[in-house]
Amino acid sequence: MTQDPAPALREGRRRFCLSLAWAPLLAAPLGVARAAAAQERRYTIAFANLTEEPGSTLEGTGFTGPEVRSSFVLAARKHPLELVFYDNQRDAKKAQANAEDAIVRKVDLYIQYFSDPDANAAIAARLKKAGIPVLAVNHPVPGAPLYTLDNLAAGRIAGDALGEFAVRSWRGQPTVAAIVGAVEAKADRVPERVQGVIEGLRARLPAVKPVTLDTQGNAARVAALLGKFLAGHPAAKVLVAATDDSTALAAKSALEQAGRTRDAAIASHGLDRTLHGGYSDKKEIDPNNRGSIVIGSVAFYLDRYGYDVLPLALAMLRGEGVPPRTVTRHLLVTAANVFIEYPPQDMN
Amino acid sequence: MRIASAAAASTIMLFTCASLALAQTDCKTVVPPSPWGPNDQTGATNRITPAVTKAAAAEIQEGKVVVMSYPLTDGIPLFGSRFTKTILTATSLAPGAAFGENQLTYMEDTWLGQSHVGTHLDGLGHIGRKDCYFNQTPMGKYINQNNMTRLGLEHLKSFATRGVLVDMVKVFQAAGKLKTNAACRKPCLDAGTLITAADIQAGLRMYNVTLREGDILIIHTGWGDLFEQFPKQNAVFNAGEPGIGKDASNWLVSQKIVAVGADTWGVEVIPGENPKEAFIVHNILLTDNGIHIIENVRTDLMAAEAAGTNRATFFFSMTVPKAVGLTGNFVAIEGIR
Repeated sequence: MTQDPAPALREGRRRFCLSLAWAPLLAAPLGVARAAAAQERRYTIAFANLTEEPGSTLEGTGFTGPEVRSSFVLAARKHPLELVFYDNQRDAKKAQANAEDAIVRKVDLYIQYFSDPDANAAIAARLKKAGIPVLAVNHPVPGAPLYTLDNLAAGRIAGDALGEFAVRSWRGQPTVAAIVGAVEAKADRVPERVQGVIEGLRARLPAVKPVTLDTQGNAARVAALLGKFLAGHPAAKVLVAATDDSTALAAKSALEQAGRTRDAAIASHGLDRTLHGGYSDKKEIDPNNRGSIVIGSVAFYLDRYGYDVLPLALAMLRGEGVPPRTVTRHLLVTAANVFIEYPPQDMN
Repeated sequence: MRIASAAAASTIMLFTCASLALAQTDCKTVVPPSPWGPNDQTGATNRITPAVTKAAAAEIQEGKVVVMSYPLTDGIPLFGSRFTKTILTATSLAPGAAFGENQLTYMEDTWLGQSHVGTHLDGLGHIGRKDCYFNQTPMGKYINQNNMTRLGLEHLKSFATRGVLVDMVKVFQAAGKLKTNAACRKPCLDAGTLITAADIQAGLRMYNVTLREGDILIIHTGWGDLFEQFPKQNAVFNAGEPGIGKDASNWLVSQKIVAVGADTWGVEVIPGENPKEAFIVHNILLTDNGIHIIENVRTDLMAAEAAGTNRATFFFSMTVPKAVGLTGNFVAIEGIR
């Protein structure tokens, strides 16, 4: 007859096994990190920002150059590198001077965020001659891997979200759609965003033909443009695709003034702080604000570029393969996932 | 009567459904078990044995008491939408309101505020992962409208142990990497400055200290100077902070300490290392390991003591009320030398 082990012993074994199960999870990252830290040299990486002018927004979103720069500072904290920052000031001569300075400093890698193709080509040639690898941000640099937004994909996400909302909420009811914002801003590739919205909407609502309302980047024009559009469709449900978050909030205001909030839904692009909020800011997209007609915004994450770009730069420096084109992982952020994408710091 | 019964039934249904909705996670897959057994609600203060307290008493050599708490008063920096308001009841000072021939008068206070204000202790019920808290506790089953029925402060043992101060300002200065904040009147680590395990180890070496089981580690970052300037610098103080990250937290867990405190509002680096993680150090220390976090510790006086005497250890004296079912509370701390 086999005697049953004492209950305490069984419990002890169970706990021992459970603790063994957790131990590798806790210990493995420590060991790997220590080994890597011991071997890695510190690199000097230059980041030449498109502009650091406060208030000057980038890529047709609400993000600014200082936010992009800050993301590099924060992301660099856990990497073996020193950062050198340059401000290209949206100026080709300044961009070229910055590259020359980086050559003198003998940086290990140059991250170029600049929109002039000719200047980028000249800078690429100079840096290549100096033996400095280049990583391009948002605008191609000859011979350099590119990290970039995907405006078409982002637009499709927004269009699909609006279409899905209309199908779910307004099935069979007359529905119109407007794409509002700086819809013609080619330098910021907003027309690609607009095309994406059209395609996304078409997939869900083939009969709806969206109109574009061009604010030329001035959110103050939304009220008049959208007001006229709403007046022309007094009995219809209204889908609004805003090309940026300021426009989305202006559209919301216009719909409120017209008394049409119950007939409308807005999807935006960017997900800057005007929508997800910061410390003690108003949070338009918030789990406690599920009734907002701004159903979501497609995240562009310019405030997190450093976290995406620096690992690519380090991979290049380590001789690891880097794809020729890496795109931002755009995602529709709504009240359901905003606290996952942008965890608040204030626990309010 | 029928209406009352229906209302009662609805209430019961509501609470039953709420409990079910809150307790859906298999916490054994989310949080590790306590090393002190499946019924443990005490966490790391289990490490403070009589032997640990006796050994810590050896730190009392001069009888000098160093204040390590900030004043608790209206206007200090508070996190998020928290508030404090004190109201003095002094009615018996009115003419004719004194009691008896001895003319006794009295006063008392009404305190309105949250528990996690000022210099305060984060208890084991403060931070979880989903609905899972320390020791795989499915907290949805253990909360009501007023408090928790598990992991409350009443289950904690003594904090009478050795305190060890690490001066990160000195460490960062020595390493030539101190980036201070313009609002600090004295050198401080700036918001977002990551304190690694190597930094803490350097701080310990600076005063020739080795951590031992049952210690409480106190980190001086200089950020507390902004607290002392309240209310002028409240916004700067709250907007971010220097602090430890995951690497340092995991190393401190391996050292089997009881608590980590700092002169910051959250002890951990803000903005955090990964922008998509929320207060991950709190999860590592509190949720996974039952190690307490003590926030807004006044560290500058002890840092000066350590610098002046080349000794960074002290007897850690902290009062934590037996507040039943609370997730934390403000505390008074003194370092006795």
